[in-house]
Amino acid sequence: MKSNNGMIGKSIPRIGAIERLLGKPLFSADMELDHPLVLKVLPSDRHHARILDIDTAEAARVEGVVEIFTAEDIPRNHLTGIINKDRPLLAKNKVRSKGDAVALVAALNIHAAETAAKKIHVVYEDLPSVHDPEEALKNHASKVHEKGNLLFTRKIKKGNPEKAFEACAVVVEKTYRTSFLEHTYLEPDAGAGYLDPDGNLVIIASTQNPHYDHSELVSLLGVAPEKVRIVQAATGGGFGSKLDLNVQGFIGLALYHLKRPVMCTFTREETYRMTAKRHPLKMVFKTGADENGHLMAMTAKMICDTGAYGSYGLAVASRAPVHATGPYEIDHVDVECRCVYTNNPFAGAMRGFGVPQAAFAHESQMDLLAEALGMDPLEIRRVNALKAGHKTATGQLLNGSVGIDQCLEAVKPHYENALKTWLHGETDFAKQRGVGLGAMWYGIGNTGVQNPSTAHIEMDGEGRITLYTGCADIGQGSTTVLSQIAAAVLGISPDMLCMVVGDTAFTSNAGATSASRQTYISGNAVKNAAEKLADVLLTEGVDLLKRPKTDLMLENGFVVYKKDPDHRMPFSKIAARAAKRGIPLRWQGYFDPETVPLDPETGEGVPYATYAFACHVALVTVDVLTGEVTVHKIIAAHDVGRAIHPASVEGQIRGGAAMGVGFALMEEYDPSTTRSLKDYHIPTAMDMPEIIPIIIESSEPTGPFGAKGVGEPALIPTAPAVINGITNAVSARIYHLPANLERVLEASIQSGKFTMKEVA
Amino acid sequence: MDTYSVIPIRFTLNGDKVSIEAGAHETALTVIRERLSLKGTKEGCGMGECGACTILVDGKSVNACLMAAPQLEGRTVMTVEGLGREGKLHPLQEAFLEHHGVQCGFCTPGLLMSAQSLILETPRPTHKQVVEAISGNLCRCTGYQQIVDAIQYGADKTGGEE
Amino acid sequence: MLTHPAYARPETLYEALLFLKTHGIDTRPLAGGTDVMVDLRAGKLKSEYLLDISRLKELQGIGLSKDGLSIGAGVTISEIYNSPLVAKNAPSLIKSCAFFGSPQIRNVATIGGNVGNASPSADTVPPLLVHEARAVLASENGERTVALANLFEGPYRSGIRPDELLIRFILEPADGRFTDFQKIGRRKALAISRMSMALLADPKEDGTLGTVRLALGSGTPTPMRMEAVEAFLKGKRADRQTVEAGSRLMAEEMVRITGRRPSTEYKEKAVQGLFLRILAPLVE
Repeated sequence: MKSNNGMIGKSIPRIGAIERLLGKPLFSADMELDHPLVLKVLPSDRHHARILDIDTAEAARVEGVVEIFTAEDIPRNHLTGIINKDRPLLAKNKVRSKGDAVALVAALNIHAAETAAKKIHVVYEDLPSVHDPEEALKNHASKVHEKGNLLFTRKIKKGNPEKAFEACAVVVEKTYRTSFLEHTYLEPDAGAGYLDPDGNLVIIASTQNPHYDHSELVSLLGVAPEKVRIVQAATGGGFGSKLDLNVQGFIGLALYHLKRPVMCTFTREETYRMTAKRHPLKMVFKTGADENGHLMAMTAKMICDTGAYGSYGLAVASRAPVHATGPYEIDHVDVECRCVYTNNPFAGAMRGFGVPQAAFAHESQMDLLAEALGMDPLEIRRVNALKAGHKTATGQLLNGSVGIDQCLEAVKPHYENALKTWLHGETDFAKQRGVGLGAMWYGIGNTGVQNPSTAHIEMDGEGRITLYTGCADIGQGSTTVLSQIAAAVLGISPDMLCMVVGDTAFTSNAGATSASRQTYISGNAVKNAAEKLADVLLTEGVDLLKRPKTDLMLENGFVVYKKDPDHRMPFSKIAARAAKRGIPLRWQGYFDPETVPLDPETGEGVPYATYAFACHVALVTVDVLTGEVTVHKIIAAHDVGRAIHPASVEGQIRGGAAMGVGFALMEEYDPSTTRSLKDYHIPTAMDMPEIIPIIIESSEPTGPFGAKGVGEPALIPTAPAVINGITNAVSARIYHLPANLERVLEASIQSGKFTMKEVA
Repeated sequence: MDTYSVIPIRFTLNGDKVSIEAGAHETALTVIRERLSLKGTKEGCGMGECGACTILVDGKSVNACLMAAPQLEGRTVMTVEGLGREGKLHPLQEAFLEHHGVQCGFCTPGLLMSAQSLILETPRPTHKQVVEAISGNLCRCTGYQQIVDAIQYGADKTGGEE
Repeated sequence: MLTHPAYARPETLYEALLFLKTHGIDTRPLAGGTDVMVDLRAGKLKSEYLLDISRLKELQGIGLSKDGLSIGAGVTISEIYNSPLVAKNAPSLIKSCAFFGSPQIRNVATIGGNVGNASPSADTVPPLLVHEARAVLASENGERTVALANLFEGPYRSGIRPDELLIRFILEPADGRFTDFQKIGRRKALAISRMSMALLADPKEDGTLGTVRLALGSGTPTPMRMEAVEAFLKGKRADRQTVEAGSRLMAEEMVRITGRRPSTEYKEKAVQGLFLRILAPLVE
C-alpha cells in the first residue's frame, strides 16, 4: 500500500492555537456552569499525626456552606494511585504530610468555602515524623505506612564491577544530590463537574490522563464505568504532576453526593502544597575507565525520597538506575535504587522520571574521568557512546535507532569553536567562562511493563473522517502530530480530519501523556487505525476503479490510480457504497511496544522498545565574586527518530532546556518554606540564552514514520551541561543541585578563584 | 470623605463602556473574569509573579491580580479579547501562530498583552527590548524563544499601527 | 481569609490627610498595589480601610530646583526609569528601576510604596541613600522633612506615622559625580535582591576619592549607608589594594551591624564581590 506522507515533517499550524490566542474559555477554570458550588480542600497542618476527631459543626453553620465531606463520605475505595494505591482522597485515621487533604467544603461561593475550611476543627495526635529517606530506613524510624518505609528497590546487575575496577586506570567515586522541584506549570490545577441529563457524572479537568482519572473515579465512587465521563479541558502544562488525581476526585465526590454543578480551582499556593514534586535523589556513583577512556565498570547506590505517597515513585526508582550508565556501553554494572516513604510532600512524575537526576551524576562522572585521564570531554563520550549492536546494562541488544554518535558529531563544531574562541573572550575582571557538555539517553514508554495505546478512526457515509484518541495534549502538541500521522496514511490534509480528543465518552484509552510515549505509542496506534481504514478504501477502490490495489493510492481525499491521477474516486462515493454494503468504516488501532519485564534481582530485560538520545553544549559565564551564572548559549542535538512536526520538536527542546536551566541553577522546593510563586524561581525570558536545536533523525524502524520522542529528553542534558560548564569556568565542581548563588560562590572560593583574602 | 464596601466603577473595556460595582477586596482580575465573563485573562499566581493576568490599562501592561477593582475607574482597559476583533487574529496573534509561540496556551494571553504594550511604545523593538518586555511573563513550555521571534515578527507586521 | 477593607478615594491630598487624621491607624494607603494586594490575598492585611492615593496629583511629578531633584512619592518606577531628568541627576536610581520586579510591576509600583514598605531589599532605597535623599511627609498638621537614612526603624517598619503620607523625595543631584547601582538576584528578572549596593563617588584629578557614599541593601536590617567604609575610602586612591581592603571592611561592617545568620556565609563574601564590581570603574 502506498501512502502519501507529505504531511510528515511539516510544521503545520497547531490545532487549538487560534482559540488560545483569542483567549477563548478553554481551560477548566474558565467553564461557565449554572451556579456552580465552589470546592475548597482543608489540608493537614501536621507532618504525621493520628486524626482523633474532625468536628465540622461550626464550619457547617457558615452561611453559604452546602456540605462538608470527610473520608467517611467516600462511597467505595478511598485510596488512589496509578502504580500503588496508597494515597487517600481524604485522610482516614491519619495524615502523613502537610499536604494531605483532610476535608472538603462545598459552598455557594469561595468566601464561604474558605471561611468554613478554617472552622473545621481537627484533633490530631502527633506522631514522630521522618524527613530524610536514610533515616526513614532505620529500624527505629516512624512508619509512614504500615507496610514500612521502603517502597521499592530496583537492582541492575551485569558482570562483576568490583573486579573490573581493579583493572581500571582511573576510578572516580562521588556523591550527588538533587532537591525537591515543583513542576510549576502555568495553569494551577482545576476542574469542573456537572450531571448530564441522564444523571451521569461529567468531570472536565486539567489532566494528563483522562482514562486513568476515569478508572479512579469509578473506584472511589463505586459506580458503573458508563456513569462517569472525564473530559480533558485545555491543560496548561503538566510535566508529570497532572498524572495524579489532583482535583478530579474532589469534584467527583461532591458531584456524586450533591448532584449539582461544582468547580474546584486550586490557587497557586494549593498547587504547591497538595500536588507532587520531583524526587530528590542522593546518588553515590563509582565509575572506572581504562587509560584510553573506555568505561569498564560502574556502580551506583541511589535513594529517592517519595515523600508520603508512592505516586510514580516506582517508575522513578526504576528509570533512574536503568539509565544510570548514561548513553554508554559498560560491561560491568551494579546499580541499586531504593524508593523510600517519608513525611515530606509526596513526589511523583516529573519530566524525565529520575533520569535528569541520574544524568547529572553520570555526566559529572564522565567529565571527572576525562579530567583524570587528560582527555577531552567530548572524546570520552564519543569513545563510549552506544551503537547498534551494543548491549545495555539490562542486557538489551540495541538494534534499532541509536543516534547518540550523530548527536555528539552534530555538536562537535559548536563545541570546538566555543573552546577555541568564545572561552577566551571574557574581559570582565570578575567573570570566567566555561563550556560544558551533557549527554543522555531515554527509553520511550513505561519501564518493562505493558503500556498500550488505542485509537479509533471513523469515516461517515459522506467520506468525512474522525480520529478518536484518548491522548491528552497538555501543550506539547500531540493532537497536531496525531492528526498528521493519520492524514499522512489517509492521503488527506490534517485539517480535513475531525479530532475527538481526551473524552472518555468517545475515546478509548491511549495511556498517560508521560514517558515521552505519545508520538511513538499513540502515534503507532493512530497509524494502525488509519492503515486499516486506508486498506478498506483501497480495496473498495479496486472494484470502483477497476485497477489492481497495488496501483492505487490515497491522495487529497481520493483513491487515485497512480499511473493516471485523473482516474480517481472521492472518499465520499466509496464511503456511501461501503456503508450500503455493510463494510466497516470504523477501525480501532492498537500499539504496545515490545518489552521484557526486568528481573527483580538482576534487572535483566528489555525495559523499552526504543530510546531517544541527545547531547547539549552549554556556554556559561560565572561571576567568581558573587556566584551569579549566566547561560549564554545552548546547542541541543536530539535524536528524535523522525520529527513529525519540527517546530514542535524545537519547541520541546527549547522549553526543556529552560526547565533544565532552572534545575541547574535556581529551582528548589523547600517543604518548610516554599509556599507560592514568590518563593520558587523558574527562568524568565531574561534568564534564557539562545538555544540552537539540532534535530537528528536516526529513523526508528518500529516508530510511526520513524519517530521516537522528545518531551523529556529535551530537559535531561541541560543541567549536566550547565554544571560541567560552571566547573570548567571555576575549576571546582558542584555536587548538589541547584548550583545556586551560594554553591557557585563556595566553589569559586574553594578553587581559589575568589581572589580576595578571607575576612577575619 | 465617604468610604465604600462596594463602589460604582465605570471604565472602558475593549472599546465598550462598562459599569459595575465592586469593592477593594476584589481585583481587576476577578472583575474581568467573574463579573464580565472574559476568561482570556488567567490567574496563575495571584501575586504578580507570573504575568498570566496581564492586561493593558491606559496602554500599559499591568498585573490584573494586583489592581484593586475600584482602581479601574475611568481607565481604558484592553484584554486579549480586545486584540483580535470579531474573531479575526491581530498581527501579533498571527505571528504567534506562525512562529509556534503557543504550546499549552495558558501564558499566551498575558504575553500578547505585554507584547502589545511594548509595541505601542516601541513599534520596532530590538530582541533585547522584547525579552525585557516579557520578563514579567512566565512560560514553562516554550523556553521563550519562539515567543520572542513571534513578537519581533508581529511588530514588523503591525508596523507600529494601533 | 480575604479581608474586606472599605475603599476610599480622596480627590485631594488634604482630603487624604484629613481621613488619615481620624482613621490613620486603621488605614493602609494603596497606590500601585504590588505589596498591598499581595498582603490582602495572603490574609495579612488587617486595615479597615484602603486609601487609594494613586490619583493624587500632589504625589506626582519629577522636578529639579535649587533644593535638588524632587520625585513625587506617587511616581511609578516606570516613570522614573523613563525620566531624562532622573537619568541626568540620579543615574543609579534609574538602574535600580531597570531591574525592579517586572515591566508590569514597574508600571504601577511607586517609589513611595517601595520606600514606605521598608523592606530590607527595597531596590530604590540604596540609590536614594547615596543621594542623601530627604523624605517629605505630610499630615493634616503640615509637612516635615526627614533624612531617608533616619526614616527606617527596622525591617518593614518605617517611621511614617499613621496620620502621615510620604509626599516626595528630594535628592542631591549627582552633579557629574560617579554613581552606580548593582544587584544580585536569584534570576535576572522578577527577582528580589539577594544583595544590592549603590555608590556615589567623586574621583579627584589627583586620583584620590573625594566624596564617597555607599549604601547597602539586603545586607543589613534596613538599607543603610556604610559610613566606616566611606571614611576609609575618602581621600585615598582607588587602587586595587585599597579597594580590596575596602571590600573586606565592607564585609566586617555588615557582619558587625547585622550579626551572623545562616545567610552570612554567602553574604559576607558576595558583599565583597559586589563592592569590587561597583568600584571597578574607578580603579586605576
